[in-house]
Amino acid sequence: MKVVIVGTGVAGASAAIALRNEGHRGPITLIGSDPEDPYRRPPLSKDFLGGTMPVERTRLKPPTIWAEKEIELIKGANAESIDVGGKTIHLDSGQVLQYDQLLLATGGRPKVLKSEFMDMTHVYTLRHLRDVAPLRNELNAGSHLVVVGAGLIGSEVAATAKGLGVKVTILEAASAPIARLMPAWLGEKVASLHKDMGVKMVMNARIESFNQYEGGVRISMASGNRIDANAVLVAIGMTPNIELAANAEIEVADGIVVDAYGRTSQDSVWAAGDVANMENGFLGGRYRIEHWTNAQDHGVAVAKNILGQNAPYNPVPWCWSDQYGVSLQICGWPDASDDVGVRGDINSNSFLTFFHRKGRLVGSIAFSKPKELRAIRELIGKSPFISPELLSDPKVDLAELAKSQIEAEQFENKRNETAAIKDLVRER
Amino acid sequence: MKIWQCQQCGFEYDEAKGWPEEDIAPGTKWEDIPDDWSCPDCGAAKADFEMVEVG
Ligand SMILES: Cc1cc2nc3c(=O)[nH]c(=O)nc-3n(C[C@H](O)[C@H](O)[C@H](O)COP(=O)(O)OP(=O)(O)OC[C@H]3O[C@@H](n4cnc5c(N)ncnc54)[C@H](O)[C@@H]3O)c2cc1C
Ligand SMILES: [Zn+2]
Repeated sequence: MKVVIVGTGVAGASAAIALRNEGHRGPITLIGSDPEDPYRRPPLSKDFLGGTMPVERTRLKPPTIWAEKEIELIKGANAESIDVGGKTIHLDSGQVLQYDQLLLATGGRPKVLKSEFMDMTHVYTLRHLRDVAPLRNELNAGSHLVVVGAGLIGSEVAATAKGLGVKVTILEAASAPIARLMPAWLGEKVASLHKDMGVKMVMNARIESFNQYEGGVRISMASGNRIDANAVLVAIGMTPNIELAANAEIEVADGIVVDAYGRTSQDSVWAAGDVANMENGFLGGRYRIEHWTNAQDHGVAVAKNILGQNAPYNPVPWCWSDQYGVSLQICGWPDASDDVGVRGDINSNSFLTFFHRKGRLVGSIAFSKPKELRAIRELIGKSPFISPELLSDPKVDLAELAKSQIEAEQFENKRNETAAIKDLVRER
Repeated sequence: MKIWQCQQCGFEYDEAKGWPEEDIAPGTKWEDIPDDWSCPDCGAAKADFEMVEVG
Protein backbone atom coordinates (compact mmCIF):
# COMPACT_ATOMS: atom_id res chain seq x y z
CA MET A 1 0.00 0.00 0.00
CA LYS A 2 1.34 3.39 -1.01
CA VAL A 3 0.40 6.40 1.13
CA VAL A 4 0.77 9.95 -0.17
CA ILE A 5 0.48 12.89 2.24
CA VAL A 6 0.02 16.49 1.08
CA GLY A 7 1.36 19.13 3.47
CA THR A 8 4.62 19.13 5.43
CA GLY A 9 3.12 20.94 8.44
CA VAL A 10 2.90 19.19 11.78
CA ALA A 11 -0.22 17.21 10.83
CA GLY A 12 1.28 15.74 7.65
CA ALA A 13 4.76 15.17 9.07
CA SER A 14 3.45 13.56 12.26
CA ALA A 15 1.20 11.29 10.20
CA ALA A 16 4.12 10.14 8.05
CA ILE A 17 6.20 9.21 11.09
CA ALA A 18 3.23 7.57 12.81
CA LEU A 19 2.57 5.35 9.76
CA ARG A 20 6.11 4.01 10.02
CA ASN A 21 6.04 3.71 13.80
CA GLU A 22 2.79 1.74 13.55
CA GLY A 23 4.43 -0.80 11.27
CA HIS A 24 3.50 0.34 7.77
CA ARG A 25 6.11 -1.04 5.37
CA GLY A 26 4.96 0.28 2.03
CA PRO A 27 6.08 3.54 0.46
CA ILE A 28 5.25 6.87 2.11
CA THR A 29 5.56 10.15 0.20
CA LEU A 30 5.26 13.49 1.98
CA ILE A 31 4.78 16.45 -0.37
CA GLY A 32 4.81 20.10 0.59
CA SER A 33 4.90 23.43 -1.16
CA ASP A 34 7.18 24.76 1.58
CA PRO A 35 10.85 24.50 0.55
CA GLU A 36 11.90 23.84 4.17
CA ASP A 37 12.15 20.63 6.16
CA PRO A 38 9.13 20.37 8.47
CA TYR A 39 9.32 22.96 11.26
CA ARG A 40 7.35 24.27 14.25
CA ARG A 41 5.23 27.32 13.64
CA PRO A 42 4.67 28.37 17.28
CA PRO A 43 8.17 29.89 17.76
CA LEU A 44 7.79 31.96 14.56
CA SER A 45 5.90 34.66 16.45
CA LYS A 46 7.82 34.18 19.70
CA ASP A 47 11.49 33.21 20.34
CA PHE A 48 12.46 32.72 16.72
CA LEU A 49 11.12 36.12 15.68
CA GLY A 50 12.81 37.62 18.74
CA GLY A 51 16.12 36.16 17.62
CA THR A 52 16.75 34.04 20.73
CA MET A 53 16.09 30.65 19.11
CA PRO A 54 18.37 29.42 16.32
CA VAL A 55 16.68 28.07 13.21
CA GLU A 56 17.83 24.48 13.84
CA ARG A 57 15.66 24.38 16.92
CA THR A 58 12.53 25.27 15.00
CA ARG A 59 12.86 21.95 13.13
CA LEU A 60 10.14 19.48 13.92
CA LYS A 61 12.55 16.53 13.85
CA PRO A 62 16.27 15.93 13.31
CA PRO A 63 17.02 16.32 9.58
CA THR A 64 18.07 12.67 9.24
CA ILE A 65 14.73 11.23 10.32
CA TRP A 66 13.11 11.22 6.86
CA ALA A 67 15.80 9.03 5.37
CA GLU A 68 15.92 6.82 8.46
CA LYS A 69 12.17 6.22 8.37
CA GLU A 70 12.24 5.82 4.58
CA ILE A 71 9.81 8.68 4.07
CA GLU A 72 10.18 10.27 0.65
CA LEU A 73 10.08 14.02 1.34
CA ILE A 74 9.30 16.17 -1.70
CA LYS A 75 9.74 19.82 -0.69
CA GLY A 76 8.85 22.92 -2.68
CA ALA A 77 6.23 21.13 -4.78
CA ASN A 78 2.60 22.16 -4.92
CA ALA A 79 -0.06 19.50 -5.45
CA GLU A 80 -2.24 20.89 -8.23
CA SER A 81 -4.97 18.33 -8.72
CA ILE A 82 -6.25 14.95 -7.62
CA ASP A 83 -7.85 12.33 -9.83
CA VAL A 84 -9.84 10.37 -7.27
CA GLY A 85 -10.97 7.82 -9.87
CA GLY A 86 -7.50 7.05 -11.14
CA LYS A 87 -5.97 7.57 -7.64
CA THR A 88 -3.29 9.93 -8.85
CA ILE A 89 -2.08 13.31 -7.70
CA HIS A 90 -0.48 15.88 -9.99
CA LEU A 91 2.29 18.20 -8.84
CA ASP A 92 3.25 21.57 -10.31
CA SER A 93 6.60 20.04 -11.24
CA GLY A 94 4.74 17.84 -13.72
CA GLN A 95 5.28 14.77 -11.58
CA VAL A 96 2.29 12.43 -11.20
CA LEU A 97 2.08 10.20 -8.14
CA GLN A 98 -0.03 7.09 -7.73
CA TYR A 99 -1.58 6.48 -4.30
CA ASP A 100 -3.58 3.84 -2.52
CA GLN A 101 -4.42 6.14 0.40
CA LEU A 102 -4.17 9.92 0.30
CA LEU A 103 -4.00 12.23 3.33
CA LEU A 104 -4.69 15.93 2.87
CA ALA A 105 -3.01 18.01 5.58
CA THR A 106 -2.97 21.28 3.70
CA GLY A 107 -3.50 23.56 6.72
CA GLY A 108 -4.28 27.17 6.03
CA ARG A 109 -3.02 30.53 4.87
CA PRO A 110 -3.34 33.95 6.47
CA LYS A 111 -6.52 35.90 5.87
CA VAL A 112 -5.71 39.15 4.15
CA LEU A 113 -6.99 42.66 3.57
CA LYS A 114 -7.52 44.07 0.05
CA SER A 115 -4.72 43.03 -2.28
CA GLU A 116 -3.82 46.67 -3.02
CA PHE A 117 -2.94 46.95 0.70
CA MET A 118 -1.19 43.59 0.93
CA ASP A 119 0.97 44.31 -2.12
CA MET A 120 2.54 47.38 -0.55
CA THR A 121 6.09 47.14 0.73
CA HIS A 122 6.39 46.97 4.55
CA VAL A 123 3.11 45.01 4.81
CA TYR A 124 3.49 41.44 6.06
CA THR A 125 1.73 38.26 7.11
CA LEU A 126 3.23 35.50 9.22
CA ARG A 127 2.71 31.80 8.69
CA HIS A 128 5.87 30.37 7.10
CA LEU A 129 9.48 30.29 8.19
CA ARG A 130 10.38 32.46 5.20
CA ASP A 131 8.05 35.19 6.49
CA VAL A 132 10.16 35.73 9.60
CA ALA A 133 13.40 37.29 8.32
CA PRO A 134 11.77 40.17 6.38
CA LEU A 135 9.55 40.99 9.36
CA ARG A 136 12.42 40.79 11.82
CA ASN A 137 14.43 43.18 9.63
CA GLU A 138 11.77 45.79 10.30
CA LEU A 139 11.86 45.37 14.06
CA ASN A 140 14.51 47.94 14.85
CA ALA A 141 14.51 49.79 18.15
CA GLY A 142 12.49 52.97 17.81
CA SER A 143 10.64 52.01 14.63
CA HIS A 144 6.85 51.72 14.66
CA LEU A 145 5.07 48.42 14.01
CA VAL A 146 1.31 48.35 13.55
CA VAL A 147 -0.29 44.96 14.12
CA VAL A 148 -3.70 44.51 12.56
CA GLY A 149 -5.58 41.92 14.61
CA ALA A 150 -5.25 41.16 18.33
CA GLY A 151 -5.61 37.39 18.02
CA LEU A 152 -2.97 35.04 19.36
CA ILE A 153 -0.43 35.62 16.60
CA GLY A 154 -0.89 39.40 16.50
CA SER A 155 -0.62 39.66 20.29
CA GLU A 156 2.50 37.50 20.33
CA VAL A 157 4.24 39.48 17.61
CA ALA A 158 3.38 42.70 19.47
CA ALA A 159 4.98 41.32 22.64
CA THR A 160 8.07 40.08 20.78
CA ALA A 161 8.50 43.41 18.95
CA LYS A 162 8.11 45.32 22.22
CA GLY A 163 10.93 43.21 23.64
CA LEU A 164 13.14 44.45 20.80
CA GLY A 165 12.45 48.08 21.66
CA VAL A 166 9.96 48.66 18.85
CA LYS A 167 7.00 51.03 19.24
CA VAL A 168 3.85 48.95 18.77
CA THR A 169 0.21 49.75 18.02
CA ILE A 170 -2.44 47.03 17.78
CA LEU A 171 -5.60 47.68 15.75
CA GLU A 172 -8.44 45.28 16.54
CA ALA A 173 -11.93 45.28 15.06
CA ALA A 174 -13.52 43.60 18.11
CA SER A 175 -13.92 45.24 21.49
CA ALA A 176 -11.21 43.16 23.19
CA PRO A 177 -8.18 41.02 22.21
CA ILE A 178 -8.41 37.28 21.42
CA ALA A 179 -12.14 37.67 21.00
CA ARG A 180 -12.58 34.38 19.15
CA LEU A 181 -11.22 32.34 22.05
CA MET A 182 -12.02 34.19 25.25
CA PRO A 183 -14.74 36.38 26.75
CA ALA A 184 -14.13 40.12 26.63
CA TRP A 185 -13.54 40.46 30.39
CA LEU A 186 -10.56 38.11 30.09
CA GLY A 187 -9.47 39.74 26.85
CA GLU A 188 -9.25 42.97 28.87
CA LYS A 189 -6.72 41.21 31.04
CA VAL A 190 -4.57 40.52 27.98
CA ALA A 191 -5.08 44.11 26.85
CA SER A 192 -3.72 45.39 30.14
CA LEU A 193 -0.63 43.17 29.86
CA HIS A 194 0.11 44.95 26.59
CA LYS A 195 -0.77 48.41 27.84
CA ASP A 196 1.46 47.95 30.90
CA MET A 197 4.34 47.29 28.52
CA GLY A 198 3.57 50.44 26.55
CA VAL A 199 1.75 48.94 23.56
CA LYS A 200 -0.98 51.16 22.20
CA MET A 201 -4.24 49.18 21.95
CA VAL A 202 -6.96 50.46 19.63
CA MET A 203 -10.12 48.36 19.94
CA ASN A 204 -13.22 48.62 17.68
CA ALA A 205 -10.80 49.82 15.02
CA ARG A 206 -12.07 50.42 11.48
CA ILE A 207 -9.39 50.72 8.82
CA GLU A 208 -10.27 52.89 5.85
CA SER A 209 -7.14 52.76 3.71
CA PHE A 210 -3.41 52.21 3.48
CA ASN A 211 -1.17 54.68 1.66
CA GLN A 212 2.40 53.88 0.80
CA TYR A 213 5.07 56.42 1.56
CA GLU A 214 8.80 56.04 1.48
CA GLY A 215 9.82 54.02 4.50
CA GLY A 216 6.35 52.99 5.52
CA VAL A 217 2.58 52.93 5.31
CA ARG A 218 0.09 55.56 6.42
CA ILE A 219 -3.10 53.98 7.79
CA SER A 220 -6.29 56.04 7.71
CA MET A 221 -8.96 55.07 10.18
CA ALA A 222 -12.71 55.55 9.87
CA SER A 223 -12.46 57.70 12.99
CA GLY A 224 -10.37 60.15 10.99
CA ASN A 225 -7.14 59.25 12.79
CA ARG A 226 -4.00 58.59 10.79
CA ILE A 227 -1.23 56.27 11.88
CA ASP A 228 2.20 56.19 10.29
CA ALA A 229 3.81 52.76 10.48
CA ASN A 230 7.28 51.64 9.44
CA ALA A 231 5.83 48.16 9.10
CA VAL A 232 2.40 46.53 9.27
CA LEU A 233 1.67 42.94 10.23
CA VAL A 234 -1.75 41.71 9.15
CA ALA A 235 -2.79 38.91 11.53
CA ILE A 236 -6.55 38.56 11.17
CA GLY A 237 -6.94 34.80 11.13
CA MET A 238 -6.49 31.96 8.67
CA THR A 239 -8.36 30.49 5.74
CA PRO A 240 -8.24 26.70 5.31
CA ASN A 241 -6.57 25.46 2.10
CA ILE A 242 -9.51 23.54 0.65
CA GLU A 243 -9.13 24.22 -3.08
CA LEU A 244 -7.24 21.02 -3.90
CA ALA A 245 -10.01 18.97 -2.26
CA ALA A 246 -12.91 21.06 -3.59
CA ASN A 247 -11.66 20.72 -7.18
CA ALA A 248 -11.66 16.96 -6.77
CA GLU A 249 -15.30 17.10 -5.61
CA ILE A 250 -14.40 16.18 -2.06
CA GLU A 251 -16.96 17.68 0.31
CA VAL A 252 -15.84 20.95 1.87
CA ALA A 253 -17.60 23.35 4.21
CA ASP A 254 -15.42 25.51 6.40
CA GLY A 255 -12.53 23.13 5.75
CA ILE A 256 -12.48 19.59 4.38
CA VAL A 257 -15.36 17.66 5.92
CA VAL A 258 -14.21 14.51 7.76
CA ASP A 259 -15.85 11.89 9.96
CA ALA A 260 -14.55 10.87 13.38
CA TYR A 261 -11.92 8.67 11.71
CA GLY A 262 -10.61 11.37 9.38
CA ARG A 263 -12.31 10.06 6.22
CA THR A 264 -13.46 12.56 3.63
CA SER A 265 -16.43 12.06 1.32
CA GLN A 266 -14.15 10.30 -1.20
CA ASP A 267 -12.95 6.78 -0.88
CA SER A 268 -9.31 6.44 0.26
CA VAL A 269 -8.92 10.19 0.84
CA TRP A 270 -8.42 11.45 4.40
CA ALA A 271 -7.80 14.84 5.99
CA ALA A 272 -6.24 16.06 9.25
CA GLY A 273 -5.07 19.17 11.10
CA ASP A 274 -6.09 22.82 10.68
CA VAL A 275 -7.86 22.07 7.39
CA ALA A 276 -10.18 19.36 8.75
CA ASN A 277 -13.76 20.20 9.60
CA MET A 278 -14.77 17.62 12.18
CA GLU A 279 -17.57 16.64 14.50
CA ASN A 280 -17.49 17.87 18.07
CA GLY A 281 -18.09 14.59 19.90
CA PHE A 282 -18.70 16.32 23.23
CA LEU A 283 -21.06 19.16 22.42
CA GLY A 284 -22.32 18.29 18.95
CA GLY A 285 -21.98 20.34 15.77
CA ARG A 286 -18.95 20.67 13.51
CA TYR A 287 -15.88 22.85 13.75
CA ARG A 288 -12.26 23.29 12.86
CA ILE A 289 -9.47 23.49 15.41
CA GLU A 290 -6.51 25.76 14.59
CA HIS A 291 -4.06 24.66 17.26
CA TRP A 292 -0.76 22.87 17.28
CA THR A 293 -1.55 19.92 19.54
CA ASN A 294 -4.67 19.04 17.61
CA ALA A 295 -2.83 19.12 14.28
CA GLN A 296 -0.18 16.78 15.68
CA ASP A 297 -2.60 14.38 17.39
CA HIS A 298 -5.06 14.38 14.51
CA GLY A 299 -2.29 13.52 12.04
CA VAL A 300 -1.25 10.57 14.20
CA ALA A 301 -4.83 9.41 14.77
CA VAL A 302 -5.71 9.47 11.07
CA ALA A 303 -2.46 7.67 10.18
CA LYS A 304 -3.53 4.85 12.48
CA ASN A 305 -6.98 4.76 10.90
CA ILE A 306 -5.42 4.58 7.44
CA LEU A 307 -3.76 1.42 8.73
CA GLY A 308 -7.16 0.08 9.78
CA GLN A 309 -7.10 0.73 13.52
CA ASN A 310 -10.57 2.33 13.47
CA ALA A 311 -10.19 4.60 16.48
CA PRO A 312 -12.43 7.66 16.51
CA TYR A 313 -10.66 10.95 17.21
CA ASN A 314 -12.42 13.20 19.66
CA PRO A 315 -10.09 15.79 21.18
CA VAL A 316 -10.54 18.45 23.83
CA PRO A 317 -8.94 21.33 21.93
CA TRP A 318 -6.33 23.42 23.64
CA CYS A 319 -3.61 25.89 22.87
CA TRP A 320 -1.06 28.07 24.57
CA SER A 321 0.37 31.47 23.93
CA ASP A 322 3.28 33.31 25.45
CA GLN A 323 3.21 37.07 25.95
CA TYR A 324 5.70 38.95 28.14
CA GLY A 325 6.52 35.73 29.97
CA VAL A 326 2.86 35.07 30.86
CA SER A 327 1.78 31.69 29.59
CA LEU A 328 -1.79 31.85 28.44
CA GLN A 329 -3.61 28.56 27.91
CA ILE A 330 -7.08 27.91 26.63
CA CYS A 331 -8.85 24.58 26.49
CA GLY A 332 -12.27 23.22 25.64
CA TRP A 333 -15.13 25.50 24.63
CA PRO A 334 -15.38 28.46 27.00
CA ASP A 335 -17.82 30.16 24.64
CA ALA A 336 -20.34 27.32 25.04
CA SER A 337 -20.72 27.91 28.77
CA ASP A 338 -23.42 29.33 31.02
CA ASP A 339 -21.33 29.63 34.18
CA VAL A 340 -17.81 30.65 35.08
CA GLY A 341 -15.61 30.17 38.14
CA VAL A 342 -12.23 31.48 39.18
CA ARG A 343 -9.36 29.85 41.01
CA GLY A 344 -6.73 32.19 42.40
CA ASP A 345 -6.47 35.96 42.23
CA ILE A 346 -7.82 37.41 39.04
CA ASN A 347 -5.91 40.64 39.67
CA SER A 348 -2.60 38.81 39.51
CA ASN A 349 -0.96 37.30 36.44
CA SER A 350 -1.38 33.75 37.68
CA PHE A 351 -4.91 32.37 37.97
CA LEU A 352 -7.30 29.97 36.32
CA THR A 353 -10.88 30.33 35.14
CA PHE A 354 -13.19 27.42 34.35
CA PHE A 355 -16.44 27.25 32.49
CA HIS A 356 -19.49 25.03 33.02
CA ARG A 357 -22.52 24.35 30.90
CA LYS A 358 -25.51 22.76 32.61
CA GLY A 359 -23.25 21.47 35.36
CA ARG A 360 -20.72 20.05 32.97
CA LEU A 361 -17.15 21.35 32.82
CA VAL A 362 -16.57 22.50 29.23
CA GLY A 363 -13.60 24.86 29.21
CA SER A 364 -10.81 26.64 30.99
CA ILE A 365 -8.56 29.64 30.47
CA ALA A 366 -5.41 29.91 32.53
CA PHE A 367 -2.77 32.55 33.03
CA SER A 368 0.51 30.86 33.98
CA LYS A 369 -1.09 27.78 35.55
CA PRO A 370 0.09 25.01 33.19
CA LYS A 371 -0.14 22.13 35.62
CA GLU A 372 -3.65 23.00 36.76
CA LEU A 373 -4.88 23.58 33.24
CA ARG A 374 -3.61 20.14 32.28
CA ALA A 375 -5.70 18.64 35.10
CA ILE A 376 -8.80 20.54 33.97
CA ARG A 377 -8.32 19.39 30.41
CA GLU A 378 -8.25 15.78 31.57
CA LEU A 379 -11.46 16.34 33.51
CA ILE A 380 -13.24 17.91 30.54
CA GLY A 381 -12.44 14.86 28.46
CA LYS A 382 -12.95 12.11 31.01
CA SER A 383 -15.01 13.22 34.00
CA PRO A 384 -16.68 16.57 33.38
CA PHE A 385 -19.48 16.53 35.97
CA ILE A 386 -17.57 18.17 38.75
CA SER A 387 -18.70 21.00 40.96
CA PRO A 388 -17.35 24.53 40.54
CA GLU A 389 -16.91 24.81 44.34
CA LEU A 390 -14.40 21.96 44.30
CA LEU A 391 -12.44 23.46 41.42
CA SER A 392 -12.17 26.89 43.00
CA ASP A 393 -11.13 25.58 46.43
CA PRO A 394 -7.45 26.48 46.85
CA LYS A 395 -7.00 23.57 49.28
CA VAL A 396 -7.87 21.07 46.55
CA ASP A 397 -4.92 19.89 44.45
CA LEU A 398 -6.34 19.83 40.93
CA ALA A 399 -3.92 17.25 39.56
CA GLU A 400 -4.82 14.82 42.35
CA LEU A 401 -8.48 15.60 42.05
CA ALA A 402 -8.44 14.85 38.33
CA LYS A 403 -6.59 11.61 38.90
CA SER A 404 -8.93 10.26 41.59
CA GLN A 405 -12.02 11.54 39.82
CA ILE A 406 -11.08 9.83 36.55
CA GLU A 407 -10.12 6.59 38.29
CA ALA A 408 -13.46 6.56 40.09
CA GLU A 409 -15.27 7.20 36.82
CA GLN A 410 -13.43 4.37 35.08
CA PHE A 411 -14.14 2.04 37.99
CA GLU A 412 -17.82 2.96 37.78
CA ASN A 413 -17.85 2.39 34.02
CA LYS A 414 -16.26 -1.02 34.46
CA ARG A 415 -18.82 -1.93 37.10
CA ASN A 416 -21.68 -0.88 34.87
CA GLU A 417 -20.21 -2.84 32.03
CA THR A 418 -19.81 -5.94 34.15
CA ALA A 419 -23.37 -5.56 35.44
CA ALA A 420 -24.68 -5.15 31.90
CA ILE A 421 -22.86 -8.31 30.78
CA LYS A 422 -24.26 -10.23 33.75
CA ASP A 423 -27.78 -9.03 32.91
CA LEU A 424 -27.28 -10.15 29.35
CA VAL A 425 -26.07 -13.57 30.43
CA ARG A 426 -29.03 -13.90 32.81
CA GLU A 427 -31.50 -12.99 30.06
CA ARG A 428 -30.12 -15.69 27.84
CA MET B 1 26.10 21.00 26.04
CA LYS B 2 22.67 19.46 26.32
CA ILE B 3 19.28 20.99 26.90
CA TRP B 4 15.81 19.49 27.20
CA GLN B 5 13.30 20.65 24.66
CA CYS B 6 9.52 20.35 24.89
CA GLN B 7 8.46 18.29 21.86
CA GLN B 8 5.22 20.14 21.73
CA CYS B 9 6.08 23.82 21.81
CA GLY B 10 9.86 24.00 21.67
CA PHE B 11 10.36 25.40 25.20
CA GLU B 12 13.91 24.75 26.37
CA TYR B 13 15.09 23.78 29.82
CA ASP B 14 18.73 24.55 30.52
CA GLU B 15 20.07 23.00 33.73
CA ALA B 16 22.56 25.83 34.21
CA LYS B 17 19.79 28.40 34.24
CA GLY B 18 17.12 26.38 36.02
CA TRP B 19 13.64 27.89 36.03
CA PRO B 20 13.52 30.41 38.86
CA GLU B 21 9.92 31.40 38.01
CA GLU B 22 8.86 28.08 39.54
CA ASP B 23 11.58 27.89 42.17
CA ILE B 24 13.74 25.50 40.19
CA ALA B 25 17.19 26.76 41.13
CA PRO B 26 19.96 27.25 38.57
CA GLY B 27 21.97 24.04 38.36
CA THR B 28 18.98 21.74 38.97
CA LYS B 29 19.49 18.50 37.06
CA TRP B 30 16.73 17.36 34.73
CA GLU B 31 16.36 14.12 36.72
CA ASP B 32 15.69 16.13 39.86
CA ILE B 33 12.71 17.98 38.45
CA PRO B 34 9.50 16.36 39.75
CA ASP B 35 7.68 14.07 37.31
CA ASP B 36 4.48 16.05 37.60
CA TRP B 37 6.15 19.25 36.46
CA SER B 38 4.61 20.77 33.31
CA CYS B 39 6.11 22.74 30.49
CA PRO B 40 5.81 26.39 31.57
CA ASP B 41 4.78 27.45 28.08
CA CYS B 42 2.39 24.83 26.78
CA GLY B 43 1.66 22.61 29.76
CA ALA B 44 3.01 19.40 28.23
CA ALA B 45 4.17 16.73 30.68
CA LYS B 46 7.82 16.26 31.67
CA ALA B 47 7.77 13.02 29.66
CA ASP B 48 7.16 15.09 26.52
CA PHE B 49 10.64 16.59 26.70
CA GLU B 50 13.58 15.24 24.75
CA MET B 51 17.25 15.89 25.20
CA VAL B 52 19.02 17.76 22.41
CA GLU B 53 22.74 18.34 22.04
CA VAL B 54 23.58 21.94 21.23
CA GLY B 55 26.69 23.97 20.59
C1 LIG C 1 3.07 32.24 13.80
C2 LIG C 1 2.23 31.14 14.37
C3 LIG C 1 2.27 30.86 15.73
C4 LIG C 1 1.48 29.85 16.27
N1 LIG C 1 1.54 29.60 17.61
C5 LIG C 1 0.77 28.64 18.16
C6 LIG C 1 0.80 28.38 19.55
O1 LIG C 1 1.53 29.01 20.31
N2 LIG C 1 0.02 27.38 20.03
C7 LIG C 1 -0.80 26.66 19.23
O2 LIG C 1 -1.50 25.76 19.72
N3 LIG C 1 -0.86 26.86 17.90
C8 LIG C 1 -0.09 27.85 17.35
N4 LIG C 1 -0.15 28.08 15.99
C9 LIG C 1 -1.05 27.26 15.15
C10 LIG C 1 -0.37 25.98 14.70
O3 LIG C 1 0.91 26.27 14.24
C11 LIG C 1 -1.21 25.30 13.62
O4 LIG C 1 -2.38 24.84 14.24
C12 LIG C 1 -0.50 24.13 12.95
O5 LIG C 1 0.66 24.56 12.31
C13 LIG C 1 -1.41 23.43 11.94
O6 LIG C 1 -0.70 22.39 11.33
P1 LIG C 1 -1.18 21.71 9.95
O7 LIG C 1 -0.13 20.71 9.63
O8 LIG C 1 -2.58 21.29 10.08
O9 LIG C 1 -1.19 22.90 8.88
P2 LIG C 1 -0.02 23.87 8.38
O10 LIG C 1 0.96 24.09 9.47
O11 LIG C 1 -0.71 25.04 7.80
O12 LIG C 1 0.70 23.05 7.24
C14 LIG C 1 0.10 22.80 5.99
C15 LIG C 1 1.16 22.69 4.94
O13 LIG C 1 0.58 22.25 3.72
C16 LIG C 1 1.16 22.94 2.64
N5 LIG C 1 0.23 22.89 1.50
C17 LIG C 1 -1.01 23.42 1.42
N6 LIG C 1 -1.57 23.15 0.21
C18 LIG C 1 -0.67 22.43 -0.48
C19 LIG C 1 -0.66 21.85 -1.79
N7 LIG C 1 -1.70 21.94 -2.62
N8 LIG C 1 0.45 21.17 -2.19
C20 LIG C 1 1.53 21.06 -1.37
N9 LIG C 1 1.57 21.59 -0.11
C21 LIG C 1 0.48 22.26 0.32
C22 LIG C 1 1.38 24.33 3.21
O14 LIG C 1 2.36 25.01 2.48
C23 LIG C 1 1.84 24.01 4.62
O15 LIG C 1 3.22 23.84 4.70
C24 LIG C 1 0.64 29.10 15.42
C25 LIG C 1 0.60 29.37 14.05
C26 LIG C 1 1.38 30.37 13.52
C27 LIG C 1 1.32 30.65 12.03
ZN1 LIG D 1 5.92 23.01 25.84
